[in-house]
Amino acid sequence: MAAWSSFRKAVWGWSPQNCIARSQLNDFNAALGVQKCMMSGGHGPRYMPLTPSRWQWHRFKDMAHYYFMIGLIPVGLIVFYANVFIGPAKLAEIPEGYEPKYWEYHRHPITRFLARYLLPSPQQDYEKFLHRMYEEDEKAKIRKLEKKIRLKMAERRDYQGYYARPVDAKYHRVSKEAADYLESLRGD
Amino acid sequence: MGDTPRARNALFRFADGVMNVVESPVIWFREKIVVPNQNDYAWYHQKFRRVPTIDECYTDDPVCIQEAQQQFKRDKFVDNEILSILRRRFEDCVLYESPDHEVKCKHIWEQYNEGAENWFMKYGDIGAYGRVQDAYMKQKHRMIWERRHGPVGTGMKGPVVTEGDH
Repeated sequence: MAAWSSFRKAVWGWSPQNCIARSQLNDFNAALGVQKCMMSGGHGPRYMPLTPSRWQWHRFKDMAHYYFMIGLIPVGLIVFYANVFIGPAKLAEIPEGYEPKYWEYHRHPITRFLARYLLPSPQQDYEKFLHRMYEEDEKAKIRKLEKKIRLKMAERRDYQGYYARPVDAKYHRVSKEAADYLESLRGD
Repeated sequence: MGDTPRARNALFRFADGVMNVVESPVIWFREKIVVPNQNDYAWYHQKFRRVPTIDECYTDDPVCIQEAQQQFKRDKFVDNEILSILRRRFEDCVLYESPDHEVKCKHIWEQYNEGAENWFMKYGDIGAYGRVQDAYMKQKHRMIWERRHGPVGTGMKGPVVTEGDH
């Protein structure tokens, strides 16, 4: 750092009066009690003032901006608008012959908005769930049956069980062709 | 609101005045600005169709069993609320009628007890994760027990003997 080398010079050759006279040029640093001898030696006049860290203050401002300007105020305005200018719904009997939409079962306008535009309908979810149950149950039944059949076949040993794995002949043809070609190159 | 009766002495009127310092602006804001601007639209309570219960389902029909389970859950919520209402009714009666609550609230107490007993017959002891099959089996066990020993609460008639022993 620039200060240390000039301190060293100060210790060896420079009287305190000389150092004070020079440092008076920069009042700020004099107020901080920094004595620097800026004659020969040092790295030139210091331009950046030494200050305590203002990092916490800057972070506070950042957080205030983030949580209030982007968080609280816009959300507060949306909630104020929803409550004052749209307002909650009133409970009513379902009219004859009318099937309410699934978002009309909620009271607050924001809940209705979320239910209508962002979330899936409960009936759709329910039917998907039932369908999944049905499919998995069918698979489970088939697997159970296969297991029983294999067990019986193993127990009685009276049925043909072909367990040959089917082989694709394409790769065999390719490798045979390659082997024939190499054979023709090598010759005898 | 503006429909509370006027306080009956000066001290209460002063207390009301102090309350109004905070309440009046709020009431004015709501009645002059909020309520006229709100829209008038409806929301409904969902009505679920009754589906076949667990005793009408085949054992290998997962869809029927699942629907019966969902219906069981919904019925359990409704029954919980009904029991809460009966309990609240009894507690309000006691609060209002004490010290003669033992006489005046007797019918409400009996009503609540009957409701609680019925609730316990259906949902009790099957645990937080009890399914509709557990409730169904509980009913079956209770009916068998009652066939052997008489109504629940009258004690057991001798050791438990299975019919196949004779």
